[in-house]
Amino acid sequence: MDQFLAAVDGAWRVLLTCLLLGAGLPSLYTIGLRNLAFADGALNDQVSGGRRGLHRAIAYALFAIVVLAILLGLSYIIAHGFGWSIGFNGIVPTFTKK
Amino acid sequence: MNGAATGGVRTVADGRSDALTMSNVTPELILLGLVVLTALAFDFTNGFHDTANAMATSIATRALTPKAAVTLSAVLNLVGAFLSVEVALTVTNSVIKIQNADGSPKGEFLAGGGHLLLVILLAGLAGAITWNLLTWLFGLPSSSSHALFGGLIGSTLAAVGPNAVKWIGTGAKLDGVIGKVVLPALFAPVIAGIVAATGTWLVMRLSRTISQRYANAGFKWGQIGTASLVSLSHGTNDAQKTMGVITLALIGAGMWHDTHAIPWEVKVACAIAIALGTFLGGWRIIRTMGKGLVEISPPQGVAAESSSACVILASSQLGFALSTTHVATGSIMGTGLGAPGGKVRWRVAGRMVIAWLITLPCAGAVGALMYLLDPLLGPIWGPIVIFGIMVGLALWMFLHSRRDIVDPHNVNDEWEPTTPAPEKASV
Repeated sequence: MDQFLAAVDGAWRVLLTCLLLGAGLPSLYTIGLRNLAFADGALNDQVSGGRRGLHRAIAYALFAIVVLAILLGLSYIIAHGFGWSIGFNGIVPTFTKK
Repeated sequence: MNGAATGGVRTVADGRSDALTMSNVTPELILLGLVVLTALAFDFTNGFHDTANAMATSIATRALTPKAAVTLSAVLNLVGAFLSVEVALTVTNSVIKIQNADGSPKGEFLAGGGHLLLVILLAGLAGAITWNLLTWLFGLPSSSSHALFGGLIGSTLAAVGPNAVKWIGTGAKLDGVIGKVVLPALFAPVIAGIVAATGTWLVMRLSRTISQRYANAGFKWGQIGTASLVSLSHGTNDAQKTMGVITLALIGAGMWHDTHAIPWEVKVACAIAIALGTFLGGWRIIRTMGKGLVEISPPQGVAAESSSACVILASSQLGFALSTTHVATGSIMGTGLGAPGGKVRWRVAGRMVIAWLITLPCAGAVGALMYLLDPLLGPIWGPIVIFGIMVGLALWMFLHSRRDIVDPHNVNDEWEPTTPAPEKASV
């Protein structure tokens, strides 16, 4: 029973983290894509006009967030491989030698 | 690379030198050679069994050509295998008790040049390979780690008895067959499925108004990025397991003494074996995961791979390591459930779940039977026959697979040719 509870404890943490990142980040990416599509006139229901420059800027900002998250994932894999652990005090990741 | 130069001391087994009179080729050396070969073969099957986890979605949505996908995945697995310097020597400790806490083999397994330890490893690996190949033949994604654990549990049971198996951990620390194998396998597909279904629903809703060509081009990069993360993390995790097993065998045979380093030759050999396996591409499994379970559209591909990458990395960070295979298949099923009008082929999913359930006991049964050949046939012929039977079974399954070949040319063919699947409306 202790083992089952420990698994449930691990499971809901992973689930919450990944609902935020695993489902949230591709959604951000898609919002970015939609803004970029607007700037390029590639929406199905495109109306002419609108502030295309602004939408392009929003798109790139969102893509930057997603790229940062992928780099974080990458640095996690590498740090883990070299025997470092990564902690998230607040939001900023910190690396410490195990 | 410097492990061999600084940390390791290689000697011919101390105190056994007297036995090496006639020539250097002793039965122990032959046995060690067979274990190393079998371990590398397992690493190879691990590679092609798991290519689908990272690349099935990208291949199915044509974000990457089949050849480009397996090449990218193979390179990342190779890089991943070298990225990792942590020593995974204690890999068997979560399910069986043949090693001390520092990874060195327990004394009672070391008599006669580590014969008992080496035969347990040989029979366990043979069981794992046999099961990996059989599931591949049926195109079923099953966890290579479960197969490895299953094989080793089986051979240990046959060699020592139930007391040498760690069935369940104590207290709240997840350990043993229950805590490290059964419970994670129950939770992994559910977690990944929920995340992927949520992601799919959001991404498809948000991308509705984007023209399809524009969206597909954008989602292509999203898929390649996330699939690359999954491949890299696979290389760091899975190649290590084989490195750990081979190093354990070398220690058992008295050829290596350092529990804090892995011989660089072992590292290079394992990295190459898993990368070659990945490059070969387990097309039968890729087809099941990319076309059989769910018809995947590009937005679903992004959502599924993001979910897989996130769940694999987050679970490892949070100390609740989940099998890549279970996560990836869970994500793909979730993406079928989350898509408006999407459907999961439950018959295929059902076959897969059955394969998951029986992976551990079946690999274990083969491992146990293989082990029994050693006391039956003696310390010289036992291992040779075990190896021979494994090679024979592998060959038989390979020849069987030639009857209906699945390769890069037909991997993306319609799953049910008579009733073409309805076009996905991703506009």
